Parts: sequence; structure tokens; C-alpha cells
Amino acid sequence: MKSNLFKYSFITSIIIAFLFSNTGVAQENEFNSKQYKMLFKFKTVKQGDNSRLLEVDFSARNKKDRKDVLPIYDAEIKFYNISKDDEVLLGSVKTSKEGIAQFIAPETQKYITDADGNINLTARFEGTDELDEEEDEIIVKDLHLELNLAEIDSVKTISVKAFTIDSLGVEIPVEEADINFYIQGMLSKMKIEEGSISDGEYEFEYTSDIPGDKDSNLTFLAVIEDNDDFGNVTQKQTINWGTAHTISHESSNTLWSEAAPIWMYVVLTIMLLGVWANYIYTVINLFKIKKEGGDDEEELEEVELGLEIDK
Amino acid sequence: MNINERKKELVKEFSPILEKTSKTSKLWFGFLIAIILVGLYAFVTQFIKGHIVTGMRDNVVWGVYIINFIFFVGVSYSGAFISGILHFFKTPLKNAVSRIIEIITVLSIVIGPIFILLCIGRLDRLHYLFVYPRIQSPITWDIIAIITDLIGCFIYLYLTFIPDFAILRDSNNLDLPEWRKKLYKFLAMNYQDTPSQRERLHKITRTMSTMVIAMAIVAYTVLAWIFSLTLQPGWNSTIFAPYFIIAGLYSGVGVIIVAMFLIRKYFKLEKYIVKEHFTWAGLILLVIALFAYFTFSDYFAKWFSHKTNDSQLLNTLFTRYFWQFIFANYIGVIIPLVILFVKKFRTINNITIAGFVAFISLWLNRYLIVVPTLETPYLPIQDTRPEYIHYTATWVEWALSLTGIAAFFLFFLLLIKFIPIIPISGIIDDERKEELQTNTTNN
Repeated sequence: MKSNLFKYSFITSIIIAFLFSNTGVAQENEFNSKQYKMLFKFKTVKQGDNSRLLEVDFSARNKKDRKDVLPIYDAEIKFYNISKDDEVLLGSVKTSKEGIAQFIAPETQKYITDADGNINLTARFEGTDELDEEEDEIIVKDLHLELNLAEIDSVKTISVKAFTIDSLGVEIPVEEADINFYIQGMLSKMKIEEGSISDGEYEFEYTSDIPGDKDSNLTFLAVIEDNDDFGNVTQKQTINWGTAHTISHESSNTLWSEAAPIWMYVVLTIMLLGVWANYIYTVINLFKIKKEGGDDEEELEEVELGLEIDK
Repeated sequence: MNINERKKELVKEFSPILEKTSKTSKLWFGFLIAIILVGLYAFVTQFIKGHIVTGMRDNVVWGVYIINFIFFVGVSYSGAFISGILHFFKTPLKNAVSRIIEIITVLSIVIGPIFILLCIGRLDRLHYLFVYPRIQSPITWDIIAIITDLIGCFIYLYLTFIPDFAILRDSNNLDLPEWRKKLYKFLAMNYQDTPSQRERLHKITRTMSTMVIAMAIVAYTVLAWIFSLTLQPGWNSTIFAPYFIIAGLYSGVGVIIVAMFLIRKYFKLEKYIVKEHFTWAGLILLVIALFAYFTFSDYFAKWFSHKTNDSQLLNTLFTRYFWQFIFANYIGVIIPLVILFVKKFRTINNITIAGFVAFISLWLNRYLIVVPTLETPYLPIQDTRPEYIHYTATWVEWALSLTGIAAFFLFFLLLIKFIPIIPISGIIDDERKEELQTNTTNN
């Protein structure tokens, strides 16, 4: 483990040297970029607030040892929205120590689309002396996902509406797409439903009794994952459907109430009765000792009196 | 063996203490009464002017009074525990020391709670505790436990006195005032030392001896809970009740050792209180030094978890109270351990020094449990006068503390003028048993 860590940081630093060094320093090291295959993974997620996350995972994998995967650090990734005639730079971000570059295009971002409403998103690394240029593109349609949480006739109902908007501003329902529903946890999310959107809609009843946070709030996520047309789309809503409040209601502090819990009276009574019964038993025995002594004294007096009479 | 003759001999042996008051004793009485008078003046001052004459303020609401209370109750509990064990297991060495321990037990439980009364700001509302008790409150448990323990200790002490009262009642050669003879007659409850009376008395004394052990543990546990059931950093600890029990035993054994030494010297009882008594008491002290492990465990958990308030408390203990902390938790354990662990160091004088160091360090240990803890509360102390933040005991508190100690000595001296310090009945019982054993062997 220690040697891997050492290797990890050592080689990463070498890759940084490759990226930014125009001198011959890098060549003096043993690292050979030809031994590594570059992995350039690009994905996009349309988020709950209608912003769009553009993410690149940039790493190098050893051709001989496939477990030897190294993140590419500090590489500048540029994100473009491309059409037949135009190329619009959305933004550029450098990769983190984990080799991740994330850029969030705000909700207000306008995209160039083709005639079918497709958005071409491209991520590009322009290369250095040692590393080749890398590029990946995703073509998605701008999907609008509406998540609704409502109690209909005392039934907790979760529904989604999925549609695209054409150039005239008309909503076109999505014909078919797989969708998953989750509840957000502290560290991960828990799947509660799998379904398929049909004619732009999907609906189901929520029947679980999950406590939720301290205020019994639950955050629901509707997620379309790796769809060929729309990529990843997420929508979320928070609602007070948890059951935590009933639990906190049950555990009120009885010590602060006017009367103590019954077990306390029982325990105290048993203990006090036990001890005081013993005290009483002792006192009774003391009186028995006194009585016995009195009898003995009387007997002694009688004997002495008898002796005197005999004389 | 003629039992009546032997009784007369023993009464004659102890008669100087019972009949006369020597010049030294009179001086002692005078000195102790003088301290008590100063204490009375201090009490009147506190009663008239209120608690402003003490070092206790808004933040540090408990001071040396509560520490003395814990200390005395601890000594009583410890005495009850050891006395109970001596009686229950019919320990061969018990005769010489059992009465000393029993008297210490009762006097401590009488004097200890008086300090609580001194600590109460509104004594005029004291009766509310009985009129409006809350069973949920540890204070109510404490009152119930201490009253029950006090009565139990009185009954137990009285049971152990009865045979000697009977002997003193039947001793015509004692030069005592008439009222004392009448009192012995009344208190002896027609006890004639008949086999059935003896058996009955032994039976109830044995039961009471187990009862006082149990009561002492309950009372001292409840006292520890008064602290540990609060959320106060430094007190809120699950280990507190057993820690109090074992620490109380440690200081109690220390007090007993010192008391044995003083009584042995003062009344020239070298014939009865022998080195073996000190060695055994010292070995008990050595075993109970285990309390240091509890101390370490408690503070180590506080230090390791590194909660803000616990860290503040430890910082206070290791800065402002550094030497007190070192004495209470290191020197107070190491000195007795060294003396008692090495056989050649186990002389009567050394064991007494070990006992003295043990109880002084334990008093200081209680001071460190109460005062620095109250000086580092959960809510930060702000917008207040500096003298309100830190506690320093005033002359009133020290005078009343010394009064407690003086009253303890005074009552002790008065009691041993009333009843032989070594139980005559116990000596007779032992000799009777020895004779029975010899006869059985000869036959």
C-alpha cells in the first residue's frame, strides 16, 4: 500500500512535469507515456436546478498493467457547444488531483442546436509536448423533467412529466424513457422505484415509512440515466413526508413530568421496605432480649426469695 | 475461667478512662470547644450576612462545605463497610478496632450532613424538601438514603454497645455518678448475657452488619449520582459511582489508620492495638489504591475524546490547579504505595503516614472534582466580576470546616468516656471461645 502511494504520487508528479515542461527534465525520468493509454471520459448531467454539469474524467492506464490507472492532474479541459458552422466555448477547467474537470453551465446558458433540437457538447484537451490531444463529444436533446409530489386523496403520489421544447416553444412529450426514483441519504441515494416514462408521464404511490431528517423531510430524486437521446437528467424535490416526528414525540422525558415513572416508585418502595423491615425486625428482637432479661431477673429474685424462706 | 471476675478485671483496667478526666483531656476538651465557639461565631456571621461571607458565588455554588460533606460521608461509608466485614466474617483482630471504626462511622454520618445545611442559601426553605419532594430528583434520593443510613448506623452502633452497657451496669465498683448508672441500666435493655440473649443479639448484629454495608453503598452511590447525573463537564461520567465508592474507601481507611494510631498513643493501648492491625489496614489501603486506576481511566477518556469543555477542564487542572492535581492523584497514591508495598517500610509510624497522605490527598481530590469543574461550565462565563469566576474559601468556611473536625474529635472523646474503647464483651467472648476450644481438645 505504501509503495503504491509512493508510486502514485511519484508518477503523477512526472505527468505534471510532462504537461508543463518544455525542457528536457521529463525525458531524464524513466516514465514513458507510450506505455500508457489515455482515457478521456466525458459526461453531462442536467441537474435539478436546470443547470448542466459537464464532467471529464481524464486518466492514463498502463497498457501492460491495467490496474495501474493514473489521474492526469492540472490538464486544461475546454468545453464547447458545436454546430455545423460554429463553435462556442462554454468554459474551461483544469483537472483536479483525481483527474476530474467539472464545469457547470448555468440554467440561463443558451445552446446552439441542430434542426432536430440536438445539442452537440464537446470536451477537448489540446495536448502538450508529451500528451496527445484528446476530445470527446456528446449529443443530447434538452429534456425538461418536472417532478411533482402531492398527496391525492390521502395517497402520497409521485409523478414526473418529461418533455422537450421545439423551436416554436411547443412542449413535445417524451415518447419513452427509463426513469429511476431515489431518496437522498446522507452519503448515497436509495432506489425506491424503477419505471418507464410513457407519453411524457410516469406516476406511482409512495408507501414507505422512512423517517427522513430531524424535521422529517425527505428529498426525492427522479433520474434518467445514460439515455441515448437525453444523456443524464436529474430532478429533485423535498417534502415533509418522513416519520421522524412520531418517534421524537414518543420519547418525551418523563423525569421532567409532574409524576415520576412508575418503575421508580416500585424500586424505591421495595428498597425502603426491605431496609425498614429489617430495622423493625431488629427493634422487635431488642424488645425480646429485654423481655427475656426481665424474666431471668424475676426468676433470680424468686429463687433468692425461696432460699431466704427456706432458711 | 470465672467470667464475672474477668469482667471486673477488665472494667477495672478501663475504669480510668471512664471515671476520670485527666488534665491533658481537659485541655483537649477546652481546645476543641474553643474551635467550636469560633465556628459558632462564623455560623452566626454567615446566618446574618448570608453566603456573601463565603467564597461561593453564582458560578461556583459549591465549595469546601460540600467537599467536607462528601469526605465525611465517605469516611462513614468506609467505616460501615469495614466494620460490617469485620463483624460478618468474625475477623480475629476485630475486637481491638471495631469500636473505633463504629464510632467513626456514626460520628461521620452525623457531622457530614451538617455541612449540607451550611451550604444551603435559604435554610428557611429546607422543609420544602420534605413537603414537596420530587421522587425524580437525586437530591430526594440522597435525603432518603442518608436518613436511612444514619438510623441504620445508630441501630448498629447501639447493638454493639449493649453487652458493654450491661457489664458497666453490673459493675458496682465503678465510681460513676448515679445518672450514668441509671442510663447504663436503661440502655442495657435487661441484657444478662444468657446464651439465648447472646445468640439473638449476635443474629441481629450480623444482619445489621450486612445492612449497613448495603446502605453505605447505596447512600454513597446516590451521592455520586448527584454529580454524575448532571450534564456538567467533568461530572457527567458513568464511572463516577464506583469511583466514589472506592475513593471513599481509600480515604476512610486512611482516617481509620490515623485514628488507631492516635488512640493507641493517647490511651496507651499498645497491648490491644498491635502492629498486625496496622499491617492489615495498610494492606487494605494498598489494594484500594486501585482507585488511581479509576481516576486515570476517567481523565484519560476525557483527554482522548477531546471534547471542548473536557479539554478546558483538563487545561484548568493542569495549569491553575497543577500542584493540587499532582498531590491528589500522584503523590497521594505513590507514597502510600511505596510504604505499603515494601515490607521493611511497613512500620506503625510509616503506615500512619501513608494513611494520613491518603486521606489528605482524597480531600484534595474531592476539591478538584467540585471547584475546577464549576469554574469551567458549559455556558461561558462572561460579563461578570473576576471574583465570581474563581473560588477561594473564606475564613468563615475554614472556621466551620475546622469546627466539623473539632466536633468529630470532641464527640469521639466524649463517647469513649462513656463506653470502653475496646469492647469488653468482645474480649470475654474471645476468651470464652478459646476456653471452649481448649476444653474440647483436652477431652
